[in-house]
Amino acid sequence: MSFKTKLLLLFFFLLCSKISFAQQTDDPVIEYIIESVAANQTEDYDYSELIDRLNFYKRNKINLNKTSKEQLQELIFLNPLQIDALFEHISLNGSLVNTLELQSISGYDLETIKNLLYFADINTPTGFENFSFNKLFKDGKNDLLIRYSRYLEQQRGFSSASNTSSRYLGTPERVFTRYRFSYSNNIQFSLNLEKDAGEKYWNSNNGQTGPDFSSASLYIKDLRKIKKLVIGDYSLQFGQGLALWSGLSFGKGADIFSVVKPNIGLKPYTSINEFSYFRGIATQVNFGKLDFTPFFSYNKIDAGLALNPLTNLEEISTLQQSGLHRTLSELKNRRRISQMVFGGNLQYNYRKLSVGLTGYHSNYSQDFAPGKSLYNQFDFTGSSLNNVGLNYSYTLNNTYFFGEFAHSLNSGVAYINGLITSLSPIVSAVLFHRNYQKDYYSFYNQGIGEGSTAVNEKGFFAGLQLKPDRKFELDFYTDLFKFPYLKFRVDAPSTGYDIFSQLSYTPNKTTRLTLRYQFQNKQQNDDIPTFVNTLSFVKKSNYRADLLYQINKSFALRNRIEMVQYQEENKTNRYGFLAYQDIIYSPLSSRWSGNTRLALFDTDGFDTRIYAYENDVLYGFSIPGFQNKGIRYYLNARYNLKRGIDIWLRYSLTQYNNQQTVGSGLDEIDGNLRSEAKLQVRFQF
Amino acid sequence: MRKLYLLIWILLFTSFLKAQDNNGPRITALGNAGVALQDVWSVKNNQAGIAGLLKPIVAAGYENRFGVKELSTQAAVFSIPIKDYAIGAAFNSYGVSDYREIKTGLTLAKSFGPKLFLAVGLNYHQLKISNYGNSNAFSIDVGLQYNAFPKLWLGSHISNPNQARYGENTDQIIPTHIQFGANYIFSEQLLITTELEKILDAQADFKAGIEYKLIKFVALRGGISVNPFKQFAGFGLNYQRVNIDFAVASHPVLGYSPQVALGYEF
Repeated sequence: MSFKTKLLLLFFFLLCSKISFAQQTDDPVIEYIIESVAANQTEDYDYSELIDRLNFYKRNKINLNKTSKEQLQELIFLNPLQIDALFEHISLNGSLVNTLELQSISGYDLETIKNLLYFADINTPTGFENFSFNKLFKDGKNDLLIRYSRYLEQQRGFSSASNTSSRYLGTPERVFTRYRFSYSNNIQFSLNLEKDAGEKYWNSNNGQTGPDFSSASLYIKDLRKIKKLVIGDYSLQFGQGLALWSGLSFGKGADIFSVVKPNIGLKPYTSINEFSYFRGIATQVNFGKLDFTPFFSYNKIDAGLALNPLTNLEEISTLQQSGLHRTLSELKNRRRISQMVFGGNLQYNYRKLSVGLTGYHSNYSQDFAPGKSLYNQFDFTGSSLNNVGLNYSYTLNNTYFFGEFAHSLNSGVAYINGLITSLSPIVSAVLFHRNYQKDYYSFYNQGIGEGSTAVNEKGFFAGLQLKPDRKFELDFYTDLFKFPYLKFRVDAPSTGYDIFSQLSYTPNKTTRLTLRYQFQNKQQNDDIPTFVNTLSFVKKSNYRADLLYQINKSFALRNRIEMVQYQEENKTNRYGFLAYQDIIYSPLSSRWSGNTRLALFDTDGFDTRIYAYENDVLYGFSIPGFQNKGIRYYLNARYNLKRGIDIWLRYSLTQYNNQQTVGSGLDEIDGNLRSEAKLQVRFQF
Repeated sequence: MRKLYLLIWILLFTSFLKAQDNNGPRITALGNAGVALQDVWSVKNNQAGIAGLLKPIVAAGYENRFGVKELSTQAAVFSIPIKDYAIGAAFNSYGVSDYREIKTGLTLAKSFGPKLFLAVGLNYHQLKISNYGNSNAFSIDVGLQYNAFPKLWLGSHISNPNQARYGENTDQIIPTHIQFGANYIFSEQLLITTELEKILDAQADFKAGIEYKLIKFVALRGGISVNPFKQFAGFGLNYQRVNIDFAVASHPVLGYSPQVALGYEF
């Protein structure tokens, strides 16, 4: 299909789609924040934790006069210089009296203030002042949400023709139950229960019975010297994520400041990612300038085991992160090994200086098997590991310095050092250097880089942000990376670079135009069949234009066009194309709201797939990647039944051209379309 | 072995680009995005830039490529303003005694009011390879700079438009290229400069650089070029009439190329 015909089709959609759909939207502010940090994430990453966090602060606003650095860092869109500037302003001028004061703080433009006041205020009640158990139940807020979804077509894994060893043992629907109780900002109780499509409601294997995934936590905040206490599931996020970082984290993205990790520390775990969390008890105790966070965790995790023929012992061959337990073999690996982790963090904060020391021990019930291929020769073996890390941050005038040094005892080191600086009111820059050795091990390593973990990589990142006025913003970065040792599908030390630029133009509150260009050049094995694999450069260019505008008080429209070019040496170029039209209906006073999208995609396969954020039901989240040719459609609707009861509906459909089946393996569907229905109900009381 | 590898690279890749010419450490540290800058080293980049200088300046520099002694460049530049005109001279020597390229340039620049500078340059190229012989050639440059808005300078430069070359017997090319770009002065402390360059028979390149004056006499610089991808960094120290500038260019495969220069303002 030529480009011209695609454009014509797009206009055709524009004309057809004027039939007025009446549906719901997620929160546009939250959506924008997530899209700005999620640029380089893969499709199955669960951002519900972040959506959850932002929605929580939207409902329980942060008190800017009584907040802490850690708490503001949870709002990811504030950069460290802005956070320091706020505290400096308060220490010089006393508590904020009016929100207008924010405009006089350096680094706070109107957009930032608008976003901040969405989640914070200057005199919301906090603390355990006048606390009593009567009040707890009177003022506490309950939030119960149930979501049901399933594919409407039958997948091969559910057909009766398949034998039991290779079929899904559970039912085809996905069910998620979420309960929250919160009292002010100080007490939170969370419970998540989930089963994925193909899983059973109730499992009994490996001597355990219960729902497929359940997670709960009780979180208490600011109780005298105890700043935080979590009983149940929690995550720990220290420094720049080299030594210890579990749960949500971001890579390189459109928001260049998001490469600097916020040192949040202890948090309750509220996500439904069935991997990378702690189960046990942890607390953060404050002794003036020192904060001490000890923790203990014991959990069972999913793993594949293999018999070592020499020792005749079972060894861990893979850790399974998908959290899917649908077939006999997946169920066999469910919660198969046990993991114990304990340790602590000591953080020293004095004015603009912050230094942290982290140490922890992890122990597994089995040994990790040595890697079988040459590229994973340096992977971790054994069953226990000790990690230490030292992180720092310091603000000097207009510059914020940060870094971390981490070491896995008896093996390698990893370190990162960088700065954020505001060179003029218009120009800010981010620079960092990293060096992660090939034998640095940490099971909770999410250091920033081209790879998803801080291992076997060196690099230098330079980013620039220009905000000449409140209408224009230009973000630009380049990143050079080297992998000193082999990687999967890269049979030699390799190198590459990444160039990113984005211009956004916001002429008024309801209109935004974004243009983006990204270029990446990496080495990987060429697939010319020779005796030895040699490396060839693979170049990928990405072009995007996105326009969002309001046509009246109830309706907004959004268009996007995105193209990908993929060049491999000695091969013809491959291309990908995606265009979509959104209609967003969000009236000021109606029980109904909603949105709908029609997208067209035409790509030359997997390498040119294009990711696009999709609106979903509340707390739902998806960035599907589109490949091959076809049409994608979805419709979201929200209906407010009465105060405290909301209902969401979603229907989505992907239709592929010239395909006999959709999906692969047990997920395969006969025919060329896959559709999904979702229903969600929320009670707030 | 390493040197052989490098030499192959240099000869194959960079020899037909403008690589042996050296822009001085300030412009190099800014990613070589110097087409809209006013500096004494403009005489080797966009000659029009010297029309913006108020005093006579002389500078000399040394550059080493990828840590290989044989791949080094010596350069010297000079400029002097005379009423609305400026006269500049440049000298550049690259290589070793067995292989040497020398480029000598003379420039005449004129400012038409404070906002428009024009310049013409004449270059004499000498190429000497032991046991093969010598060859000479002349080339010209034309450059322009325009102060479009109070803080914005635009620049444009064409080098060797008549495609002059060494005699019939050499394949060595004097590159023909066109550059244009902008330099935005955000404040006395900060400027950002960009440049697009197209070399005939080679790919186009985009370059950008940033200069930040930490204090009045210390400037920090950084830059990138996209094609080939290179990162640059450097600093400049200015003490009364003396300038010391340092730059390093980093190529992902070939490594680092440092350079240093000393300048004096009369």
